[in-house]
Amino acid sequence: MTKIDFMQGNTACAEGALAAGCRFFGGYPITPSTEVAEHMAAKLPKLGGVFIQMEDEIAGIAAVIGASWTGVRAMTATSGPGFSLMMENLGFAVMTETPCVVVNIQRGGPSTGQPTMSAQGDMLQCRFGSHGDYSIIALSPASVQEMYELTVKAFNLADRFRIPVFLMADEIIGHMRERIEIPDTIPAGERKLLEKDTLPYHAGKDLVPGFPQFGKGYGVHVTGLTHDERGYPCTTSPSVHEELVKRLVAKVESARHEIADFRVTNPGAEIIFITYGSPARTVEQLIHDHPDANIGHLRLRMVWPFCENALGEFPDARVFLVPEQNLGQIAREIERHTSVPVVPLPKLGGALHTPAELKAAMEAWR
Amino acid sequence: MRLVIDERRCKGCNLCTIVCPYKIFRQGAKPNARGIVVPELDRPERCANCRLQALYGRTLCGMCQMICPDQAISWKDEEIGEPTKVAIEF
Amino acid sequence: MTYTDWLREDRLPHIYCAGCGNGTIINCTLNAVDHMGWKKEDTVFVSGIGCSSRAPGYISTDSLHTTHGRALAFATGIKMANPGLHVVIFTGDGDLAAIGGNHFIHACRRNIDLTVICMNNQIYGMTGGQGSPTTPVGALSTTTPYGSREPTFDLCQLASAAGANFVSRWTSYHVKELTRAIHTGLQIPGFSFIEAAVQCPTNYGRRNKFRQVMDQVEYFKTHAILQQKAERLKAEGKSVPENSIVIGDFIRRDRPAMGVKR
Ligand SMILES: Cc1ncc(C[n+]2csc(CCOP(=O)(O)OP(=O)(O)O)c2C)c(N)n1
Ligand code: SF4
Ligand code: SF4
Ligand code: SF4
Ligand SMILES: [Mg+2]
Repeated sequence: MTKIDFMQGNTACAEGALAAGCRFFGGYPITPSTEVAEHMAAKLPKLGGVFIQMEDEIAGIAAVIGASWTGVRAMTATSGPGFSLMMENLGFAVMTETPCVVVNIQRGGPSTGQPTMSAQGDMLQCRFGSHGDYSIIALSPASVQEMYELTVKAFNLADRFRIPVFLMADEIIGHMRERIEIPDTIPAGERKLLEKDTLPYHAGKDLVPGFPQFGKGYGVHVTGLTHDERGYPCTTSPSVHEELVKRLVAKVESARHEIADFRVTNPGAEIIFITYGSPARTVEQLIHDHPDANIGHLRLRMVWPFCENALGEFPDARVFLVPEQNLGQIAREIERHTSVPVVPLPKLGGALHTPAELKAAMEAWR
Repeated sequence: MRLVIDERRCKGCNLCTIVCPYKIFRQGAKPNARGIVVPELDRPERCANCRLQALYGRTLCGMCQMICPDQAISWKDEEIGEPTKVAIEF
Repeated sequence: MTYTDWLREDRLPHIYCAGCGNGTIINCTLNAVDHMGWKKEDTVFVSGIGCSSRAPGYISTDSLHTTHGRALAFATGIKMANPGLHVVIFTGDGDLAAIGGNHFIHACRRNIDLTVICMNNQIYGMTGGQGSPTTPVGALSTTTPYGSREPTFDLCQLASAAGANFVSRWTSYHVKELTRAIHTGLQIPGFSFIEAAVQCPTNYGRRNKFRQVMDQVEYFKTHAILQQKAERLKAEGKSVPENSIVIGDFIRRDRPAMGVKR
């Protein structure tokens, strides 16, 4: 039986994690994400899980990665300043192919910026913030319901692809309270273990090697150095490095159409809004207020990897309007994939776009 | 048991020469094929471990093996038929 | 089984320079681990970045070679998530006390059930010989070309003050004592910290009047002074000779610990 509840976005995120079987949380308090940690601190011990408040975010993500190698589903939650601190170890998770979930309840930056105000300024950082070439998955919830659902999904994707998966929420969604339906079953996913007598970093067709969980007798060496299929450091061979990095990218990018997650409203429209996270709410309001205006809406629930095919859902598009709580981070990505004009509608400072603002932007293209 | 230095691993640091109570290891004189001057063994049959390991069923002394940073020192069983020299010093 | 059975033979010889003390510390550690009678599949080695931190790559158990300074944070995650695993950390003076200093004191404070072996060569070996928080005053390094002027950390005092259950220091000359100390550390629940003074002939010895590898190891032999003796000298109002390396077990206690298997 589905359970109806009323809760905050951050709480829904923690509940989703627990439902997905997350049994380890390591992190450091930071507004506006702290409620996720607090909820995990209250619930995990009762479920036989571990909550640990580390000395900083670098340690938080490190502990999560360590825990993940013991086979447990593990997560951390943070916001801008903590997210910046995590970057080196996130690259380590990518290189070692460690499944983990990182929640970022975005606030205004740069630096300490606006701790209590909403923003979407870390959308490129989550994709490119660590050094070197790589690929990750980023999901972006636009409701309390999705804080729950997409957190569950993040764990399944992290295990399937053996990568860090980011839940890129914003302060508005994190702190909003609304109705939520908690399902009694959730989509299952599991971490495929390494088959015996297979080299630990040998990947098959799906480009994702089996997971040699610690404590199972694999005797695996895991290193952030460039490594061969045995997992042994191999740092001067150009071909070993090139093959490894290309596989790390390809395992995600080649699956992007299959895993794409977006919602389409009015596919026949000519003026299309593209959103993720809280700006979607204003667009929904606008459509609600002007049912006959034929306003198109592409709402990305998965922002990275960017699935360019989603743009093709609007064959008559004359313009893509992209309201974001940043200076046009994803608008720039959209622009790469279309000849239709892309108009960023940036809004900084923490307030949501108003329907009037979006309407005005739309009218300019009538 | 026979004391051996694995020439593929030894890097010629001579640390073994400072720990052996019997001074069995002596600095070598000429480089081997890898350009490493491997220590020479002076009557290795005197080594406590060569003599007594089989009897006690565990490594005795073992200082040289422990300090050798390159895991180059070990003891091998004599081949069948190989004469075992017994050296007891009074 | 003997300790050599724990080596990842297909990766030997290792990358360490001739005479590098790190190889000796690996021997002592594996000897102690072997004496514990642990199963390989229950044992995990963790390290940060540096020459010392390459050690787990030569051991045939599961091992995690992490980022510079963060080994203890990764190890905390492993141990808390699965207290059934025995977790042993290799680290260097730079890795542990410079970039990882914060993780170090907090792991001691939590008194988490880990055993940490720090190969203190008083230098950044891997990056070519820069000064570290333990480079002695006056010593030459590539970043202290006129002699280091910074006061140093005493890693054992740091661990003691921060709350570790077991704290001990030996050198690469004192292989038997070091092995025994590591063995003790492995047995004691809570955080065990063992500092091993090691020679880095390439990047420390060469610049600091140790022409031969043996010279620095001889120095360890002649300048090491047992903690009890140092205490006695102090009690008698005499001074401990300058440049002594005080060795011995400094702390052994039973503070409440985390991550201990029940
Ligand atoms: C974040 C980061 N900063 C700097 C480095 C470069 N680096 C690699 S090893 C090292 C110092 C290692 O010194 P230590 O921990 O004493 O190990 P040793 O090589 O002496 O055993 C440094 C600075 C790095 N790998 N990562
Ligand atoms: S085991 Fe002892 S006696 Fe034998 S060679 Fe080594 S150091 Fe010498
Ligand atoms: S200690 Fe080992 S590496 Fe060094 S000279 Fe002796 S056998 Fe060779
Ligand atoms: S640089 Fe120093 S610490 Fe590194 S391997 Fe060489 S001798 Fe050892
Ligand atoms: Mg060092």
